[in-house]
Amino acid sequence: AQVAAVFREAQRTTASHRKLAVTLRKLQEACCYGPTSTKKSAASAASDFSEDDFNAEFVRCVLRVMPIKKSEGVGEKTIRFIGLFLRHAVDKDNEAVGEPDEDASTMPETPGTRLTTLLIETILPLLAAKDKFVRYRSTQLISHIINSLDAIDDDLFQKLRSGLLKRIRDKEAMVRAQAVLGLGRLAGNPVEAEPESDNSDDAASGLLEKLVDVLQNDPSADVRRQLLVNLPILPTTLPFLLERARDQDAATRRAVYSRLLPALGDFRHLSLSMREKLLRWGLRDRDENVRKAAGRLFRERWIEDCAGTPPPAETGQPAEVSPPNLDALLELLERVDVLNSGGENGVALEAMRGFWEGRPDYREAMVFDDAFFETLSSESVFVVRTFNDFCRNEGDGKFESLAEDKLPEVTKVAFYLERYIKVLIDAIKRLEEQGVDEDEEGDTVEQEFIVEQLLHIALTLDYSDEVGRRKMFSLLRQTLSIPELPEDATKLTVAVLRDICAPDAAGEKEFCSIVLEAVADVHDTIVDDVPENDDESFHSARSEVSGDSTPTRGGKSKSPELSEEEAAAKAMKEILINMKCLHIVQCMLSNVSGDLQQNEHLVGMLNNLVVPAVRSHEAPVRERGLVCLGLCSLLDRSLAEENLTLFMHFFTKGHTALQITALHILTDILNVHGAQLLSSNPTLLKVYIKALRSGARHPEVQAAATVAASKLLLGRVVSDHEVSAELLKTLVIAHFEPASAGNQSVRQALNYFLPVFCYARPENQDLMRSVALDALHTLYNVREGFDDDDADIDDEMVSLTTIAACLVDWTDPRKCYSPAAAAPAGVGEKHVNADVHLNLARDILERLGGNVPKEEKKIIAALLGKLYVSPASSEHTTREVYAAVCEAVDGQLLSDATGRNALYKIHVSLGKIVNTLDAA
Amino acid sequence: PTEPTRQRKEKQPFEIDFAPPLDPAVVDAIYTQASSNSAISLPKKDWKSKSRNLLPDDKHFSSKQLLSLFLKPKARMGRRRILGGSSWIGNADSQR
Repeated sequence: AQVAAVFREAQRTTASHRKLAVTLRKLQEACCYGPTSTKKSAASAASDFSEDDFNAEFVRCVLRVMPIKKSEGVGEKTIRFIGLFLRHAVDKDNEAVGEPDEDASTMPETPGTRLTTLLIETILPLLAAKDKFVRYRSTQLISHIINSLDAIDDDLFQKLRSGLLKRIRDKEAMVRAQAVLGLGRLAGNPVEAEPESDNSDDAASGLLEKLVDVLQNDPSADVRRQLLVNLPILPTTLPFLLERARDQDAATRRAVYSRLLPALGDFRHLSLSMREKLLRWGLRDRDENVRKAAGRLFRERWIEDCAGTPPPAETGQPAEVSPPNLDALLELLERVDVLNSGGENGVALEAMRGFWEGRPDYREAMVFDDAFFETLSSESVFVVRTFNDFCRNEGDGKFESLAEDKLPEVTKVAFYLERYIKVLIDAIKRLEEQGVDEDEEGDTVEQEFIVEQLLHIALTLDYSDEVGRRKMFSLLRQTLSIPELPEDATKLTVAVLRDICAPDAAGEKEFCSIVLEAVADVHDTIVDDVPENDDESFHSARSEVSGDSTPTRGGKSKSPELSEEEAAAKAMKEILINMKCLHIVQCMLSNVSGDLQQNEHLVGMLNNLVVPAVRSHEAPVRERGLVCLGLCSLLDRSLAEENLTLFMHFFTKGHTALQITALHILTDILNVHGAQLLSSNPTLLKVYIKALRSGARHPEVQAAATVAASKLLLGRVVSDHEVSAELLKTLVIAHFEPASAGNQSVRQALNYFLPVFCYARPENQDLMRSVALDALHTLYNVREGFDDDDADIDDEMVSLTTIAACLVDWTDPRKCYSPAAAAPAGVGEKHVNADVHLNLARDILERLGGNVPKEEKKIIAALLGKLYVSPASSEHTTREVYAAVCEAVDGQLLSDATGRNALYKIHVSLGKIVNTLDAA
Repeated sequence: PTEPTRQRKEKQPFEIDFAPPLDPAVVDAIYTQASSNSAISLPKKDWKSKSRNLLPDDKHFSSKQLLSLFLKPKARMGRRRILGGSSWIGNADSQR
């Protein structure tokens, strides 16, 4: 009776659990050890009862909890109390009998263990109960007991284990989640599986294997998440745990960042590539909460690991935040391999943006003085570059002054830039002279990175200071003339130069003229160098008869004919220099927007450099020339027209990469110069259609074509109805057909594009409407083409019903953007013109009357009931479609029940509207 | 010990009444075993997930890719058709 009273209290709040456990323990002691204390009336009353009575009553109360639904909080509270009490009872028993013998193979029998055994024996059969809540509660209780107790009798342990193991395949996710909770603990404690110690490792690892299997395969995210946070972190489990960073479920992914990784301890134990992956996955997750958790992990935990505070408390929260520490930050960046992850699409940029955002203490503490700039490393330069980016781009300018305060003025930046460029060029030259040396090469990579980062800073500076501007300008102009300057640095140098020149047309001309001067300088090195080089290579080849370290790249040591070797070296050098010049030009052109013919510098460059390059016999030169010609065509319509056939030729004849380049050029041209070029060149459309259907052989081409066609449609570049309909239909098919199932670039691009396109304008929706049934028909045939027993089709293609539902959804006029709807709407639901769905209904009825397979008819007939019908549609269309619907009803067009109901539904709703129209 | 201590609260939140003996219906619910293990288990086909419940590689597709030129990613596609005539791509402007 008193036992029941304790339970009654325990279900209400966990706050009193400690006290209640003590009370209950007193009762238990009274029952088991006789009237040791008769002071309390409760105890003396209880002393009339035996241990068996107490245990029976206890179990009776526990059974009470078993049928309680999951949603009731009292169930869980009581179960927690049971665990707490058992723990308390066993502890007290152990106190009474003294410390348990560590080596003892069996545990001492005490009232606590006897009760536990009885309880577990009673509950175990319930694990296989028919009622799902009984299974849920019993599993929960068992798992909870396991997690509350330190040791369990071995026989019992085996029973628990096998009982729970069956439940990891329960059909209820809630039961599986509880089973996994208990087994996770067992798996983490192989010692408990003794005494047959040779056997126990197997048992434990078998268990781990099973749990890892569940972690990967369980359909319920709750179960996977439960395992994620409860599985022991071991070398064998860790890869599988970390893999959950890409789980389909956002909350599970988030748990990797907010729970697993903080619990893991020092992140430096992870491999370099794993750190980078985790950071990239987390910071670029599709779910904002995952991104936030990953950002916090980086700027609060990982930095802390480097700053060297003692390991955090169990809660996963750092005990105390260490003060800003530049060395720690540098180490952190080194640990995420900033040299690689700090590149232009690297995740370190995002990581640091979040870092500066979330760590005002670091923001304030930074000092970028001479000493800092004199000893730049890839890590430290990245610190100042990202700090600068953050201050310039974030917070609506409120950090601008911080950057002004902390960063040196333009002249000084130019000074340091000059210095590091020199170091870089010297290193490259040394490397060319000495041949490849790994250390040296690593060094140039770092020097290159430093220069690039400084150029990134230069891109953001304010050049209103004339002295600084001139200094930077002449430095970059000279730098650009260095043939050894690497490509990325070249690109940035050109961009900064464009930035320094005025944004207007005159500035653009100035920009072109000085870049082309530099190109001429670089080009001259062929003329300058070659005669000298002739001599030099002659001598060097002479002096080094063995010839294993000939510096000329094209040199073949075996070559008997010196003049041939010479010529080859010369030709190679010419190609390299040409490539370099074309690259500078390409960088320049992507920063130019004025009319080509108005700029004599550009006309000259086109004729003297680009056109010859396109005609070159050397493929790399030709291909780079092509890109430059494409860029020029964007600046001159007639040039574009003249060369359209050429670009198409490159698509037809080229290799994959060249095909993609050609597609890019063609699409940009159409975007800039308009669709007339497309309508006057029927073969051009064929290029797109062919590319869109090239998925099987060239998935990359299909991906590029998908984005290209999307741009043309969304930008309304294609005006011709037939053309746009053909493109759109091809895209819809590509979105669903199994051939693209493995092509995530295509799938994800279309997943984004199709709804955006449809909902952008009513005209787009109507276009979709006009191709919808054709596309569906094609997809029907695609599906029919597969064998029935081909089980994979369901993995690669959604059902036709789903596709049809998508098409209805994309053409739903209520979802379409319209300026009128965007305006503050009146009270209540507003009716939207539904002509597009009415027309779809008419299309459907036409098909139903036509010659299409029965199964397809079924699918499209069902759509009639899903269309939106509204009194705001045009009267003409409403009446017309209503007439068609009536005809279908009268003519008993449909035989299947679902189709008939759909038809009746639209018949009734249209009928109402027509009646109102008649009445008006 | 089956002494009935009755304590009826204003049962607004659900509470378990531990005092009275178990209702036969409840006893039934607790002790009725499932007809077979398979009746309460996940169908075997759901034991394995082909994708291991992982997401495919994210391609991070966004409107940016649809609104910029391939060759000049920094330049936004102009509304040239509306402005007519001369080609106009805001490039120099958008850099500042």
